[in-house]
Amino acid sequence: MSKIPKQKKNEQKLKKKSKSDENFAFRSVIVSAIFGGIFFVISLFFNTEIITIFLNRGTFWTFIDILIKVITILLFFLFMITSIGNYKELIGKPLNWKELLLVFLFSIGQTILNVWVFIFTLFGLVLLLIYLYIIQEF
Amino acid sequence: MKKRTFRVVLCIAIVLFTVNSLLFVLDGYGASEEIDSKFGESPVIDGYIDLQSDEWVKATKKEIFLEDLPIKCWVIQNDENLYISLQIELESGYHNTTEFIGIIISNSSSEDKENFKDAKIIQFSNISANQFTYFDYYINNSVFSIDNENNGNGVAKMEGYTSVYEFSIPIKNDTNSGEDVALNFGDSYAFNITYGDTTSYPNGIKKSTIVLINLESVPSSLPTLSNVFLYVSCIVIFSVLGILYGFYIYKIFKLKEKIRRIKR
Repeated sequence: MSKIPKQKKNEQKLKKKSKSDENFAFRSVIVSAIFGGIFFVISLFFNTEIITIFLNRGTFWTFIDILIKVITILLFFLFMITSIGNYKELIGKPLNWKELLLVFLFSIGQTILNVWVFIFTLFGLVLLLIYLYIIQEF
Repeated sequence: MKKRTFRVVLCIAIVLFTVNSLLFVLDGYGASEEIDSKFGESPVIDGYIDLQSDEWVKATKKEIFLEDLPIKCWVIQNDENLYISLQIELESGYHNTTEFIGIIISNSSSEDKENFKDAKIIQFSNISANQFTYFDYYINNSVFSIDNENNGNGVAKMEGYTSVYEFSIPIKNDTNSGEDVALNFGDSYAFNITYGDTTSYPNGIKKSTIVLINLESVPSSLPTLSNVFLYVSCIVIFSVLGILYGFYIYKIFKLKEKIRRIKR
């Protein structure tokens, strides 16, 4: 027969699980923020047109340029939302619409120099928001 | 009497007008087409029109006639060169082995013979083997003399029934030795497009026509107010985002310390 009561054992188990979840959430906050930062830097280089290697080289390369710009912004948005969402969870508050709107606006703001990047990013962000809303529901 | 005098004067006037017109036509060539050159991506001068890389896609395209010979004429420019592509499509066997296309350039929009001072010629030596030579001549009293230094570039290629001639001619060339016509942005120049089949100039010229090419002005280097606004907004957005990102990382580390303290 075990010397530790069953309830205490369950509590310990729960504590351990919560601690592990906390660690996982914190790691997720940091890793997602780092990835968000990396994509922010890539976006900075391409969307401010510091790097223009694909510009004025024909339709195909223009498409590649737009694709890189759009994907970096979308990934920035995705990682930052994940990071901020987990951060808020750690401090015990839910991610509210103001923070979501702020990240959304700053993501779309990065497209200011190119109308095609703006259109595709807006479309991608709306899709991402729909996706995030759907997975929250389930 | 008065009526008779009037008739005589009228006849003399008509004769004078006709003779003057004939002299004018004989002295000049007479432009048949006017082409507005536009800024665009510079094509590769290799005698091959690469449709996959949208080469010549922004060029002004016109069909011109060298008398009875139809030629596709494409013109585009960048901030260094004027590019001209001339394409002749003839049925099998009609291309001459030693055919050439020449561009004789006037130093202005004037079509008077004496103003045509510069000639760029692509001369095939064997069209079926795609062997050609690019020549740069200066013209003095209708005598063609080879330039000491070749200015510009020209490449020709025969593909199927079409011979493609591609020229690049420098605009605003600071190192102009006087043997070439100095083309300037925003000005119009008469170009005499010539076709022939022997290596003798100008005697070998069989057909020709004049086109007036209007070079586009250099786009203003000063940015517009809307562009300045966009760039400033872009810098502001990225700066604010960078600051917020830094602040967020700081908050994460603060949270880490807080969690550590709670754990203790």
